[in-house]
Amino acid sequence: MSSDQTIINIDSIEKKSDSKQSKSDVTLTINAKEITAPATLSVIQALWHAGYPRVKGVGCLDGVCGSCRVMVRRADESELTMELGCQLLVEEGMSVFFSVFDTPSRHSYKLSEIDTSWDVQTEFHRIFPEAEQCRHCNGCNKACPKGIDVEGGVDLAVKGRFREAGEKFIDCVMCNLCMTGCPEYIDPNHVGLFSRRVTGYFHTRPSNLINQLEAIRTGELSVVTHAVDTQSSDLEEGQS
Amino acid sequence: MSEKSAMSGSISYQQALDAYLNKDDFPATELSIDESLLLEKFHPDHRQETITNLQVGPNKGDRCHKQVAKILQADSRIDATDLAGARIKETDILVIGGGGAGCAAALMAAESGAKVILATKLRLGDSNTVMAEGGIQASIEKGDTPQSHYDDTYKAGHKKGIKDLIKQLVMDGPETIRWLIQQGMQFDLNKYGDLLTRKAGGTSANRVVYFRDYTGLEMIRVLREAVANSSVDVWDYSPAVELLSNESGHCAGAIISSLHDCSFIQIKARSVIIATGGIGRVHLNQFPTSNHFGATGDGLVLAYRLGARLRDLDSFQYHPTGVAYPQHLTGTLITEGVRSSGAYMINALGERFVDELKPRDIVAAAIIRECEQGRGVVGNSADGNEGLQGVWLDTPGLEARNPGLLNQRFPKLVQLGLRSDIDITKTPMLVYPTLHYQNGGVVIDENGLSDIPGLYCVGEVSGGIHGRNRLMGNALLDIISFGRRAGLRAVKKSQNRGHKKISIDHISNLRRELTLNNMPMNTKSPLLFPDYARYEAIISCEKRGSSSHCGGCDI
Repeated sequence: MSSDQTIINIDSIEKKSDSKQSKSDVTLTINAKEITAPATLSVIQALWHAGYPRVKGVGCLDGVCGSCRVMVRRADESELTMELGCQLLVEEGMSVFFSVFDTPSRHSYKLSEIDTSWDVQTEFHRIFPEAEQCRHCNGCNKACPKGIDVEGGVDLAVKGRFREAGEKFIDCVMCNLCMTGCPEYIDPNHVGLFSRRVTGYFHTRPSNLINQLEAIRTGELSVVTHAVDTQSSDLEEGQS
Repeated sequence: MSEKSAMSGSISYQQALDAYLNKDDFPATELSIDESLLLEKFHPDHRQETITNLQVGPNKGDRCHKQVAKILQADSRIDATDLAGARIKETDILVIGGGGAGCAAALMAAESGAKVILATKLRLGDSNTVMAEGGIQASIEKGDTPQSHYDDTYKAGHKKGIKDLIKQLVMDGPETIRWLIQQGMQFDLNKYGDLLTRKAGGTSANRVVYFRDYTGLEMIRVLREAVANSSVDVWDYSPAVELLSNESGHCAGAIISSLHDCSFIQIKARSVIIATGGIGRVHLNQFPTSNHFGATGDGLVLAYRLGARLRDLDSFQYHPTGVAYPQHLTGTLITEGVRSSGAYMINALGERFVDELKPRDIVAAAIIRECEQGRGVVGNSADGNEGLQGVWLDTPGLEARNPGLLNQRFPKLVQLGLRSDIDITKTPMLVYPTLHYQNGGVVIDENGLSDIPGLYCVGEVSGGIHGRNRLMGNALLDIISFGRRAGLRAVKKSQNRGHKKISIDHISNLRRELTLNNMPMNTKSPLLFPDYARYEAIISCEKRGSSSHCGGCDI
């Protein structure tokens, strides 16, 4: 049985009061509160372990939603780094601050308003006029917790190479930290997403999909709902 | 657990790893299994002691998991006095939930010209959708048909799914992919630009289309951008805590309990679309979960209280390959796509023990059987806790047969390995089933309409499509197919409906029924957050509802 597997999630909170500091425990601060937790926990798990309430800034707990962005200073280091709290293991002497604030994009567009793929480049510069002002300060790259070459992606988009630009942003979780790191208000992650979206919108035309759509449209393909009941009961008995 | 392991003689991580590394051939298991017996003995749904019968509400007398029953038969978070002081906002369509289903519904409703509010507990896109990895099913390959898709879905659901819902799901498949592409979503393509497809456990054809192991992430970032650039009014940090009804019994809106300042807000709407997702964070049977932080079954509670019937409340999906070790990643999903691509699962003796591409319930039950019968691998965590059991997911073997595949197709898994200090091309990950999906939910028709006029439920909160076991890739299809339909239908049906006098009489009825049945009133639902988030500490704050923004009480 597996019941002990959730210990980290549930039981440890209950044990807070009687837990003694063991050898693998570390002490750190999260939003200026001192917390002692096992070194095997993530920042978010450490918060739960310590019994502190937090509902904002927690999300998928899987590193793909960008909700739990935190600012981190490690012991004896002056540099601040941006990380995702669900992915970051606690370390001795670490200071962590949750960065829960709204970062709306300043740019607005609808794909359906771009008439043809020939117009994408023009439209891009109209929608994201700041992109070509990039001063290559590296702010976005430093802010990215996923290690994406954000600046390089923006460069490619400015040159109209949207497919390549989009490829740079495959791992992007839209945490918006690059937006906060950009002095030109480029909204680099939205540039990346625009690049990806126009590529799909204008250039994905799979023949296997189109053929099937046509077969469904003409009525060549449809579904008879009683068919499967008349077959021998194969899942339960015969399939193995 | 550790006593249990000792009793059943489980094998240590290092021993098992040596046994694995010393073998270079893993023939398919010849063990023939009686699948129904396997499920009965080892699938967590069959632990009879965890099941109860509901005592109040439209499903009175029906089987239900005890932990679900507890939140369905709990007290409301609000009183009539809360309603009196609440701000009021009016809209045409209220969508509750900001995952894939909610986004699809909101986009369609807004495109039809309706005024739409999308209220979501956390932020737009915070959902299980964003974590979906494996892909989305649509019969598009030559030789594959919607009929085969239908047959596979119906069979995998143990013939308990509703036929008309499944029919519509599979017929919508190709069109759903086209719509997603029109929103700007990318899929993995071959060199000629055709969609790549792969098999899922329990499918008879290559039918899952995907984008790396980031299908849900790609879907959500595209849909979120589409919603953000539409006329939809997005309310973040705005969980719904109760529905409103009008004098003719229609659903007429909802009450929001804002996380910005803990105040209540009434949203009056002509129709409500619930798209709140699943319930994994309730940790049924104390299982770890692959689910999002917000997956606490809120929509089930809202709909049930207003009188909507639910179904299959004793049926949940445990995804076979959750991370068992290391500890900080316990429960994290490893996509079925890895097995679809040919990865084996191997027990501590270095043997395969099940056909890896059986439906998820069978494979999960087989893993639990291996561990309970002493053929599981015991992961040794840093603090010496030997409670983390599992079996190997043979990624090194997959890599050896398909050099480069892991990096190319499964970037998220490769990163997961790195965070575990494991090079998955050389060392296998330890996996164990993780609570993944709520098979049942609110009873709906082909447009997502529940028993209550004006109340639509789409996505994981709904039931009947997947029967008692869902196939990989059918959830992403379900949320978009039914989400879009509900969005369109809700607008069409509500055009002539005005805002009438609204009430929350159903709450007094609930309290009366609970009291009559001597049910405890100490739990309040919807839960909104797992207990370890300490939400109750936040809302018991004295400043609650004060006009100044307190910013919530998160530390």
